[in-house]
Amino acid sequence: MTACRAFRRSIESIQDIFAFTAEVFARDRVDPALLPSVDLTVEELFTNMVKYGSSSAEVRIDVTTIEGGVEVALTDYDVEPFDVTQAPDVDIELPIEQRRPGGLGLHLIRRLVDCVHYEYSAEYRKSRITFRKTQVAPPACDGGHCAGSANARD
Amino acid sequence: MLAIDFGTNGDVVVSGRLDAAQSPPAQAFLDKVEGAVTLDCTNLEYISSAGLGVLLKTQKRLLGSGGKLRLSGVSRHLQDIFVYSGFDRLFEIEAAPGK
Repeated sequence: MTACRAFRRSIESIQDIFAFTAEVFARDRVDPALLPSVDLTVEELFTNMVKYGSSSAEVRIDVTTIEGGVEVALTDYDVEPFDVTQAPDVDIELPIEQRRPGGLGLHLIRRLVDCVHYEYSAEYRKSRITFRKTQVAPPACDGGHCAGSANARD
Repeated sequence: MLAIDFGTNGDVVVSGRLDAAQSPPAQAFLDKVEGAVTLDCTNLEYISSAGLGVLLKTQKRLLGSGGKLRLSGVSRHLQDIFVYSGFDRLFEIEAAPGK
């Protein structure tokens, strides 16, 4: 079962997004233990779109219930390509004086969800980021990807 | 939503969700604390990278003046986040009882 909703491109939309994911989890009886990791991943991807995108289009979020968890897709319209799966990891061994908060979101995502997949349509200037979180698979501590990333030309 | 204030024992007590929307008020509160500060996270349900940024900025400032920020009552989920982000090397962290 899939639920989808579009959200205004604003940090203020985060509360509505959390309400949406909680609603889907409750409706489809998805393990609530997965919700914090799903919310964190959605928040990090969404806030990246808000911060770095120049479009005024809404961001669409699809949540699909799958065996043991959910698959979530965020679709961003009228944007330049930015493959989040290629962002470098943060060096967590740096001393505190050299630590910066930037990049931590994507670093965390790789460790919290099973896989992340990025697609970009040059024709429609549309990016779509899909991730899965299930009870079965352990966190992808090696920075795993669903099926690599792709720059689609549809 | 997020609530942050001083508890009766002088610790800073935070509850709710420390996300990108709630980080500015949390930062504004923590910008005013001084010395050795314990942040009671017992009722902190959620933290994202924006919240981690608040803790990092506060820790840097306090260490610079001889103080520090200590985290207590940390749940298993938050502990995972702190380990994945390397914050277990930057903060003294006390797990919630039974975690």
